[in-house]
Amino acid sequence: MIKPDDRHGHSESDDSAVIRRWLHRLVEPVVLFTVVALLVLGVIWGTTLNLVSMERAAADRTAMALVADTADTYEAQVVRALREIDTTLKLVRYSLDGRPAQEALEELRSRDMLPPELLFTVSVADARGNVIASSPEVDPSERNVAEYDYFQRAHEEEGMVVGLPRRNRGTGEWQLFFSRHAQVQDGGLAIIVAVSVHAGYFVSGYEPEVLGGDGILALLGNDGIFRVKRTGDVLTMGTPVDYAGVVGDGAVGGDATVKVNPWDETRRYTVARGLFEFPLTIVVGLSEEEHLAAAKQSERTYLWYATLASLMLLAVVTLLGRLSWRLQRSQTRIMEERVAHARRVEYLAFHDNLTGLPNRAYFTRLLTQGMQQSRRYGKRLALLFLDLDRFKAINDSLGHDAGDELLQEMGLRLNASVRESDIVARLGGDEFVVLLPEITDASQVTVVADKILAAVSLPFTLVAQEFRVTVSIGIALFPQDGEDEQTLMKHADVAMYHAKELGKNNAQFYSEKLSVDSLERLALESSMRKALENDEFRLFYQSKQDMFTGRVTGMEALLRWQHPDLGLIAPMQFIPLAEENGLIVPIGRWVFNTACRQNVEWQAQGFPPLSIAVNLSARQFLDDHLLQDIKNALNESGMAPELLELEITESMMMPDMPRTVRILKDLKRMGVRIAIDDFGTGYSSLSKLKEFPLDTIKIDGSFIQDLVHSAEDRSLTEAIIELGKSLSLTVVAEGVESIEQADYLRTHSCDQFQGFFINIPMPADEFEASVREQLLRLADDNPSD
Amino acid sequence: MRLTSSILGLLLSLMVGIASAEVVVVVSVQNPVEALSQAELRDIYLGRMNRLPNGSAVTPLDQREGSAAHRTFYREYMAQTPAQIKAHWSRLIFTGRGQPPRSVADDSAMADAVAASPVALGYLDSAYLDSAQVGDRLRVVAID
Repeated sequence: MIKPDDRHGHSESDDSAVIRRWLHRLVEPVVLFTVVALLVLGVIWGTTLNLVSMERAAADRTAMALVADTADTYEAQVVRALREIDTTLKLVRYSLDGRPAQEALEELRSRDMLPPELLFTVSVADARGNVIASSPEVDPSERNVAEYDYFQRAHEEEGMVVGLPRRNRGTGEWQLFFSRHAQVQDGGLAIIVAVSVHAGYFVSGYEPEVLGGDGILALLGNDGIFRVKRTGDVLTMGTPVDYAGVVGDGAVGGDATVKVNPWDETRRYTVARGLFEFPLTIVVGLSEEEHLAAAKQSERTYLWYATLASLMLLAVVTLLGRLSWRLQRSQTRIMEERVAHARRVEYLAFHDNLTGLPNRAYFTRLLTQGMQQSRRYGKRLALLFLDLDRFKAINDSLGHDAGDELLQEMGLRLNASVRESDIVARLGGDEFVVLLPEITDASQVTVVADKILAAVSLPFTLVAQEFRVTVSIGIALFPQDGEDEQTLMKHADVAMYHAKELGKNNAQFYSEKLSVDSLERLALESSMRKALENDEFRLFYQSKQDMFTGRVTGMEALLRWQHPDLGLIAPMQFIPLAEENGLIVPIGRWVFNTACRQNVEWQAQGFPPLSIAVNLSARQFLDDHLLQDIKNALNESGMAPELLELEITESMMMPDMPRTVRILKDLKRMGVRIAIDDFGTGYSSLSKLKEFPLDTIKIDGSFIQDLVHSAEDRSLTEAIIELGKSLSLTVVAEGVESIEQADYLRTHSCDQFQGFFINIPMPADEFEASVREQLLRLADDNPSD
Repeated sequence: MRLTSSILGLLLSLMVGIASAEVVVVVSVQNPVEALSQAELRDIYLGRMNRLPNGSAVTPLDQREGSAAHRTFYREYMAQTPAQIKAHWSRLIFTGRGQPPRSVADDSAMADAVAASPVALGYLDSAYLDSAQVGDRLRVVAID
């Protein structure tokens, strides 16, 4: 509740706000329903109770009126009856004059001047109480009336005597007696004239429809004795009562009052009115209970209806209330859902679904903000572009689920490597970006870059296996590497590519020179696409010789690009690019076809069957059409499959072992040979090595290089040779460049060697010439061949 | 009350039969009436009707209360007990709504009174009727 004392010095707006708040609360369904329900209930019960009290009052009034009316009528009737009786008494008295009583009576009777015989008996008694005349005849047992009160009192009173009720000895009927004394006859003795009537006469007018079964119609003597009293059909005569108690101050014309009638303890609307001429009081009563019964009945009916209506109302209100509450709840829920949905949509618009990091759009905005801040406060800002190395390989070999896991984990590690104020975002694919606002020195960036490299270098567990991944990081600084967002991002991108070219798993700062390089790169890429059409690729061949005989056993086909403008481009400069943009596949196909065709051609020219080895790139290895391409090349050229050797690097095979084994088995089934290249440089476990269907193992040149001087390299080389031998593989040493190296290898049972010592890679015609020369030389040395 | 008396009346009439030989209803020969229904007879004697169906006036006469003829008549034609009659006339007289029929002393007085008036209606002992010389002045009314 509002406490006025709490609001000293409030303004008008506070007041209206409070009022509005209360109105608001009022309109709430719960309150509204309750209020309305209470109002309606109030109306129902108010009306009902009003009706009830009105009924009561009406019934009360009716009773009063009824009793009053009845009393008026009764009074008149009683008075008339009494007067008639009195007149009869006087008449008889008069006609007695000088005649025998019986004669007088007979005459009166014959003239119809006596009241109906059916009801009235007129009698004359002498001084001693003997009935000397009567009409009609009295019962013999009633012949003497001396002891009756009406007889005795008649002598004393002047007016008509209203006697006490008596039971007729003969008929048993209760009768009332009225008497007067007649004038004293000669002899000095008085005569009494009397009229008797059956008691019920005075209450014969009782109407049950009016007075009910428990009303009262009575004639009460002023002496306090009821002459006759009737309730329903029951007549009682002679009941004594306390006169004052019954009549009270009810004088002539008294109103009805509700009181308990003492003779039967019934509450009645009672009129007790004394008659003017006679010592009698009429009592008219209407039972309160009886009269009000009907009213009470309809009262109960009203109350019952009101209760029913109330219950129905409560039920309806409860129902409505519940419905509206549910409605409100569902409305609230819908609103909440909408809000949540809108929030989600907004979130999704700005965040990457997989990692939860800000997406490109959001990042751009953040970058703009960051740059504005830096500009304002003269701070520097660093942008780090991150690219997962060989992400595609993992995604292709392990599946997209593993790739997603990797990206998610990546996001987490990146976030862990930076401060709270730094921003990590995912631009898409395997590209991430880190924004370092408020940098003072480039060395701070290096620290962060190293942290990231370290964090990423820890093994990842994908699809329940451990993998190692690396990133390439390109760094651009604001404001020196660009004044606007696009320039900054582009330069960071260039720096990242540079990092990739420099062997990956490192971070590089942007420099002007890189732009130039990248331009070159772009040019290279676009011309690479045309290179295949323009037949700019060449295969160079490098021979492999048997360690002992020195015979050429085979060759390795190496890809070169004869660019019209840039000259001969080494594989290292364009193969990574080809890998990335997928051109490696059609180029590889060209390589297969060309190599097979060339070999067959040489054989046709008289060369002995020589094996030809082709390098496979990771992308080629995982390509779906690899087998088909090789099959096509073999079929079209007609070369025997055993002459084709596919060189696969160690690190290419390890990621998805089952898949690698499958592919190798498929290849083996075709009849081609498999060689594991650059052996020793990868991270393969030796136990896994025996699972692969291999033919050759090629020791990486790095081991051969320092063979002479490094004991370590020697033992490693020996170990590899041993390994190859134990697995029944042909062991080839790469990069053999000195006789010492060759001697050593020969001593340790290496099978073949390859390197500049023997032959450098050379184009087809040169190679052909070189081989031919060798063959001749050997034929000369060994004429038996 | 009325219901009780009607049932009682029916029972009595069933028990006793409609037209008993003891008391007969008579009018003057000057009176054209020859038959009345029992309902009409009752109404006349209870003061509810003071005109005959044909419109002419009728004055009922009673014999003295307590006489045999009176008792018989009221028992058999009216199917009323003396108490009922008394109560009936009590109410009517007290409330001023009627007067009971004039009563005559005996059969002889009844015969004289009825014969003398063209509007009178009475009853007497059939034995008297047979024996007396009044047969030519009176007509018996058939009550059904």
